[in-house]
Order: sequence, then C-alpha cells, then structure tokens
Amino acid sequence: MDRDVFLSRVGQAAMRAPLPPTPASPSTLPLPATGSEDLVGLFRERAMSVNAVVHGPVVSTGVPTVVAGIVAGHGCETFVAWDDLPAPGVTASLSTGGCRRISHEIAAEHRLEQQLAYRGLDCGVTGADAGLADSGSVVLVHGPGRPRMASLIPEVHIALLPTSLIHRSLAHWAHRSPGLPASTANLVVVTGPSRTGDIELQLNLGVHGPRIVHIVMMQR
Amino acid sequence: MSEPVSFLTRAETLLGTDEARAVDRGMRRMSASREAVMAELPWSEELRDRARSIRLHALSHLDRLLAQFADQITERGGRVHFASDAAEANDIVASILSSASARLVAKSKSMVSEEIELNRHLEAQGMEVVETDLGEYIAQLAGDTPSHIIAPVLHLTREDVGQLFAEKLGVPYTDDPIALNQVARERLREVFLTADAGVSGVNTAVAETGSLVIVTNEGNGRLITTAPRVHIALMGMERIVRSWEDASLILEVLARSATGQRLSVYTNVITGPRREGDPDGPEELHVVIVDNGRSDILGGPTAEILACIRCGACLNICPVFRTVGGHAYGTVYSGPVGSVVTPGLHGMDPWWDLPYASTLCGACEEVCPVRIRIPSMLLKLREVAASEGRLPGWLEKGMARYAKVAAHPSRWARAKRWAHRLSVLVSSRGWIRRIPGPARGWTRYRDFPRPVKQSFTEWWRSTRGS
Repeated sequence: MDRDVFLSRVGQAAMRAPLPPTPASPSTLPLPATGSEDLVGLFRERAMSVNAVVHGPVVSTGVPTVVAGIVAGHGCETFVAWDDLPAPGVTASLSTGGCRRISHEIAAEHRLEQQLAYRGLDCGVTGADAGLADSGSVVLVHGPGRPRMASLIPEVHIALLPTSLIHRSLAHWAHRSPGLPASTANLVVVTGPSRTGDIELQLNLGVHGPRIVHIVMMQR
Repeated sequence: MSEPVSFLTRAETLLGTDEARAVDRGMRRMSASREAVMAELPWSEELRDRARSIRLHALSHLDRLLAQFADQITERGGRVHFASDAAEANDIVASILSSASARLVAKSKSMVSEEIELNRHLEAQGMEVVETDLGEYIAQLAGDTPSHIIAPVLHLTREDVGQLFAEKLGVPYTDDPIALNQVARERLREVFLTADAGVSGVNTAVAETGSLVIVTNEGNGRLITTAPRVHIALMGMERIVRSWEDASLILEVLARSATGQRLSVYTNVITGPRREGDPDGPEELHVVIVDNGRSDILGGPTAEILACIRCGACLNICPVFRTVGGHAYGTVYSGPVGSVVTPGLHGMDPWWDLPYASTLCGACEEVCPVRIRIPSMLLKLREVAASEGRLPGWLEKGMARYAKVAAHPSRWARAKRWAHRLSVLVSSRGWIRRIPGPARGWTRYRDFPRPVKQSFTEWWRSTRGS
C-alpha cells in the first residue's frame, strides 16, 4: 500500500483513539541514582546467575594469560577475534599456544564458503563496549573489524570488559548513549550463554549460540 | 484462520488432559519467576508507570513515529513496505524473496507471520521455510500450532518430542532434553549458514534511530539476521517507540514479565543493512509494516490493547488459560490479551465469545507491565456482543426479570427464600452437584456447597451481629 495512504489512515485512527493522556516525553524523567554501589560486585553476581563465568578484574597485561588459560581449558583449536581487543597481545598469545585464527572477512561474493568455514569454530574473542550490572550483560557494538559471528557461532565466547564501562542497567546505559544505535548496523546485549526452556521448561544451554560464556573483567 | 467452533467446545476437549496439566505447571513456574525478579527491582512500580506512558505516547503519535522510522531506515539503505492486510503482507514478502531468488528461508519467531499465515503462503510458492526457534521448530515438525506466545510447545512432553524427532528426523529415540537440543542445533546450524533469506519479527522499533530490536534466548534471532544475504523483518504497526531510551525501559520490563529473566540472552539491535567495512551482516534489509485490522482497533473502544508488549504475563497468571491452555482459544493470540486482540483484528464473527472466556478476576491487569485495563476491555467487548444480539434469548429475558426482582426489597426477599428452598431441594449430602435448566452450565464442572440453613439476613436479625 502507498505509504501516505497507510499513514493517513493510522493518523485518523490515532486521533479517534480513546487513550488516556500521557506526559509529552516520558523517558526524560530521571532514573534512580546509582550512588556508590559496588557495580563490579553486582555485575559478577548477576552474570554468574545466568551461567556466565566471570574472571578478574585483572590488569590489562595479565589478560593474555587468562584468555590462553580459558582456551586451553576447553581444548579449543580454532578461534576468531575482533581486531581491536581492549587488551594487547591476546591473539598473539593464542596463536603461540597453537590455537589457529580464522579470518572473519566475508567478501560478498564468497559469502557462503566463508560462512561454512565457520562451522567448526571453537572460540570467539571479543571486546565489550559496556557492562550492565543489573542483568550481568555485556554490550557488543559491531562494525569494521568486529564480526557479529564471533559471539554467535563458536561453542565458547570470551568477552573482555573494562570495569570502567560497567553501568547500573540497560536503561541507565541507554540514557547515557541515546544515539548509539544509529552509529552502527548492529549491536547486541549478551546476557549469559544461549539458552532455551522449550522442552518442558527445562533449562538447556547452547541451543544455537555459544554454550559457554567467559567474561574477563579488566582494569586498563 | 480457524474452524467456527465455540471457545467452550474447544475448552471442553482440553479440560483435564495432560496438555492442560502441563500448561498449568509451566504457568505457575513462569509466574513465580516473574514475581521474584520484579520484587528485587526497587523501582519496578515506577518502571511500569513509565513503560505504560511510553507505549500510550507512541500509540497516540503512531503515524508520525512510523513516518520518522521509515525515513531513518531508508536513509541507511534499508527498504520499508506498508501492508494494509494479511494478503498484501504475504505478497510483499513473497515478491522480495522471489526477486532474491530465495529457495530456503530461515525464520525466527514472529507472531505477525503466524497471524498472516506466511509459511503456508510461501510454501505454496515452492519455497522451503524453516522455523528456527526450538519450540517453533518442534511445532512445525509436528504440524501443530504454538499454544503459548513465549513457550510454543509447552503442551508437549519430552517423550512427545523424542518420538517426533525419531519419526521425522530419523534419529534414535531419546527423551533427554539435552540430546534433543543437540539434534536440533546440528540440523538448524546448516539451515542458518545456507539459507538465502531470514525472516524475523520485531519486538520494538525505534523511530528516532530507525532501529529494530529483536530479543531471543537461543540466538536464532541473531543468526537469521546475520548469516543470510537478505533479512526481512515483519512488524505490527504498533510495535514502535520514540527513542532508544524508551526502548530500553520497555526492555527492562519485557523479559522480567515474560520469563522472569532480567534481560533475554540476546537483545539484538539492528539499524540498516550491513555497512561499508562490516565483516558480516545482510546485504539487504526490508521492513514490512503490517496493519491488518490494527487501525480499526486503534480507532475503537479497545485502542489501549495495542500498548501490549507481548510478554505473556497475563496468560501465565490467568486462571482460565491455566485450566485449558492456549489451543482452546483457537487463534494465534490467546489468553486475556488475545481475547481482546482477536475480535479486534478478525472481527466479532466468530470470535465474540472469547471475551467471555474470563472470570474478570483482574489478575491480568495486576501483572501487566504496561497496566493495560484488560478486564474493562473484555467488558466493553461483551457489551458489543450483547448489543449485536449474540447472546441466547433466555439470558436476556432472565437478566431483565432479575433486574425487576433485584430493584424491589420485598420481591428480593421473597426470591431469596425461594432460591434457598430450591437449593436445599437440589442438594444431596451437603453439596449441589447438578442444577437443571438453563443454569446447568454452572455445575457441569464444579460442585457447590449447600447454603447454610439460616440466611445472613435472618442471622443478623436474630443476633444483631453479636
């Protein structure tokens, strides 16, 4: 249907709609103050409650060792990583340890072959652009050098989260960055490993996405 | 759509079955989790007020928000399509897919696609459509319809699923949910990576930024919007809010109310197709905005129901839903919210009886994260049904007679005495098990204790309450 015809019908209906009046912009009201809460502690507790494994906080120079330990512990043979991880030396240390890095550049004309090469991928290493204490979530903003697949296809996802980026809740973070979604084709808020309760409401991890999520908290 | 059978008939075939018991168990668990995570949130009541304002604000500015949203998407290289009804929406999706030469289509959960019966339409055109949400995948294999908007195959046991997988997928029988999960993971992984297009729903759209918010727990909603070359998002036209901040506040209540999670595992925010330099993501993004009866609801007495964020909390708490399950409603949207939405979308004929599938206990309004006044809307629809003369004649005559009696103290007192005598007559060993005549429905599934010998009024007169 023509856009203008469609929208004018909606507009007429909205004018007739018997809805209670609302404040002009309800979301600009202030959010509850966060005060001096221990956001790092709350983040750890909540992330663990959704089956994520939380490490640290560690200093950034210690991150490669922690990540290499996780990768070795799960016996991962291949990994994919973001180009701009917040801690230096992580991919180099994995390669030295014998874990093979898979390229993430998917050229439009080789899309299918490249994607199928991901099938046996063991581990994805990403940064995190925010942490949300209330829900124990990490926010991943995708873009050049930051594949969405890294936190989606592998069995194990490792996210590196600077503690300075931890906010109280999704709403608190969105309040601070209202225009962020427009700056990227995709961002995702990840709250623990992939899960389902579809068979008899029994919790089951790793249904389509990663079965294991590690979050390495770090101080820059 | 559905067979012209009454709610009562459908409910009677489900009453007391394993399916109904499974639903009841599940609903109690989900309601308890919802209560726990809402209680830990110090500002939950304030949050609900704000979520309500956000949704009502969006509805009263719907045309402007949709225009802004469409402009934003177009500016970022996406395409927006407007569909006035189900047929048009199906045609739009089919033509996008055929011009992309798509044969394998991967779907994540979308209520709108079920409402317009998209799969049937695409399959008729020779395309293979695979549902990728585990529950929906199971329902699709079983040739069954989902019975709950959040937990589609709540009505099936693990043994049912095990038999289904053995039969349809040729794998050895197992009733271990973890093993069944692994079978589905392997099957669907292939579909995700090789599908020509992904079709998703939309939980919330953001007008200011042109973003689509899609939440899933399994990750299928991310895979089908990342791997295939073409992504088509189907959205009901009311599923929009003004800003990203507004969306974040809706998300704060959505998962808590739906499954008792603080957030779903993946909150996926999509703003246009893959951009220059992005290593992955779809080349094409199409958003299909669907009316299909929604503007009629918006301009009518139940407009507020469009504020619904599809969490399912009202289903989980509803004593009627818990007793008979989602299939009794015979339609895509079940439970209290469905009893308002369905007659609005598809007309009172034959759905006029759904508003009666409620005890008006008010639990749905109590738990609704956006405080929709569902009971009063059910009453409004009952009013419409009555004014259209859909109720049986004896009920109308009976109510008229009741009104005459109840308005007159001496008639009332006399009627009460007769009713008491009658109740003693039809009772045996302290219980009324069967009332004859038009009121027999009252005792078909339950017994009443016989009234006490002395009425309250008599007791009051003789004792003055002491």
